Amino acid sequence: MQEIRRKYVVPGDKITEGNLRPLFNVFRAGNSLVATRVGIAEAGREGVKVIPLSGVYIPRTNDIVIGKVMDHSSLSWEVDINSCFSAHLPAQDVFGRDFSPARDDMGRELANGDLITARIIAFDRTRDPMITIQDKDLGKIPRGEFIKISATRVPRLIGKRGSMIQTIEQATRTRILIGQNGVIVVTGRNAEGIALAIKAIRMVEEEAHTSNLTQRVKSLLGIPESQVETPQGASNNPHSSEDASSLRNGELQEGKDQDSL
Amino acid sequence: MTQARSLIDENGKRTDGRTENQLREIKITVGVIKNADGSAFIEFGMNKILAAVYGPREVHPKHMALPDRCVLRCRYHMTPFSTDTRKNPAPSRREVEISKVMREALEPALMLEDYPRTAIDVYVEVLQADGGSRCAGITAASVALADAGINMRDIVAACAAGKINGKIVMDINDTEDKEGDADMPVAYMPHLEQVTLLQLDGILNDEQFSQCLDEAIKGCKMVYEIQRKALMQEYFGDETEMKEEQ
Repeated sequence: MQEIRRKYVVPGDKITEGNLRPLFNVFRAGNSLVATRVGIAEAGREGVKVIPLSGVYIPRTNDIVIGKVMDHSSLSWEVDINSCFSAHLPAQDVFGRDFSPARDDMGRELANGDLITARIIAFDRTRDPMITIQDKDLGKIPRGEFIKISATRVPRLIGKRGSMIQTIEQATRTRILIGQNGVIVVTGRNAEGIALAIKAIRMVEEEAHTSNLTQRVKSLLGIPESQVETPQGASNNPHSSEDASSLRNGELQEGKDQDSL
Repeated sequence: MTQARSLIDENGKRTDGRTENQLREIKITVGVIKNADGSAFIEFGMNKILAAVYGPREVHPKHMALPDRCVLRCRYHMTPFSTDTRKNPAPSRREVEISKVMREALEPALMLEDYPRTAIDVYVEVLQADGGSRCAGITAASVALADAGINMRDIVAACAAGKINGKIVMDINDTEDKEGDADMPVAYMPHLEQVTLLQLDGILNDEQFSQCLDEAIKGCKMVYEIQRKALMQEYFGDETEMKEEQ
């Protein structure tokens, strides 16, 4: 493995010097690379980046987000995606190409207040993000417990290849939907399981950057060390882990960044 | 200004017992307001100031939004109970001015072009005032901005210097401000080595001016260390080294 140096930084701190590529949350001042956020700096062969520990969600294309329908015009829905920009879901996306504002009743498909899982299909500096719900696992969320965490904690909550979230899901017999924007919906058969899962999620949020977090989460969930319950996981697998993990696939490249904290 | 009494005694001590180049005691707490995206509370001598940052968020009214960058809005406000005689809570001429200079002091440190069509609101509320509150306000606001996770080139630290009894001293307090000869608040970005605020109330000659500026910048660097420590403490606790998991 190539050498990766990690360092805690605050804005203005010099991370390293030399001809490295600034990836994100880093800027170049002369010959040195400087952090622009509070977080964990990583200087590797591919470049230098800072994994931020605070901040609001800024949309990126192909992010999977959970949003709340706020309003609709004659052609699109306005969706709150927990960011400084509100997203637009075009009516054609739901009704198809032959959508007619006169014929189709938008309120019938999505009402104000509905929660949806969506993917960001377009976003740049000049326009508000555009989202779609036409994909596998996207669309209306019928039920569940709604919680918000900081978007910067999402990769840690997912963990290395979804390890953290799978641990929580299996131990609490719940299904957890995570949006890259920090919105989470927990569903499950019993209330205690949901409450415990929320407690674990809150713990990950609070202590995201600390070491040995997985162990502490496991002890909170009552899992003995180095043993993951498989039989339970298998029982609700058909709809739980398959659906959930494919939904999170989009996030995982981000998840990898932070998984080994 | 006429001197009512000596502000430096025969031992070289000032009215509050400090030496010429000593800061007042500074304490910064990060993340005190849960509803804000970032916040900080600073105790700068007897100053007690809260700073809260909201954003980047949608701009209201919408016509204020800029297509290529973020709007930074600052409000410096003194609570009615912050001074010994009640202060009218309506924004005074002085507060409007400080809000403006504070915005201009923070703007160079922020990468506002990263957040087009949005706004960042900075609220600085003075709970107790003791001279140098604009410096303390900028210091706290800068920490709150870092806490809010806004991209910054550097952290802004601010400190005043001034002239009392003909001597240049660091970090002027309320009495020294009122009875002294000059007061110079300076905001400074320590890594970029750039001054973002420089005001002067009083008369200094060339030599005194540069001496005073040097003293203020020295103060800013000391303030910066405290800001940095406060942020590190909030985010990383006592850990300073990364530990690998699994």
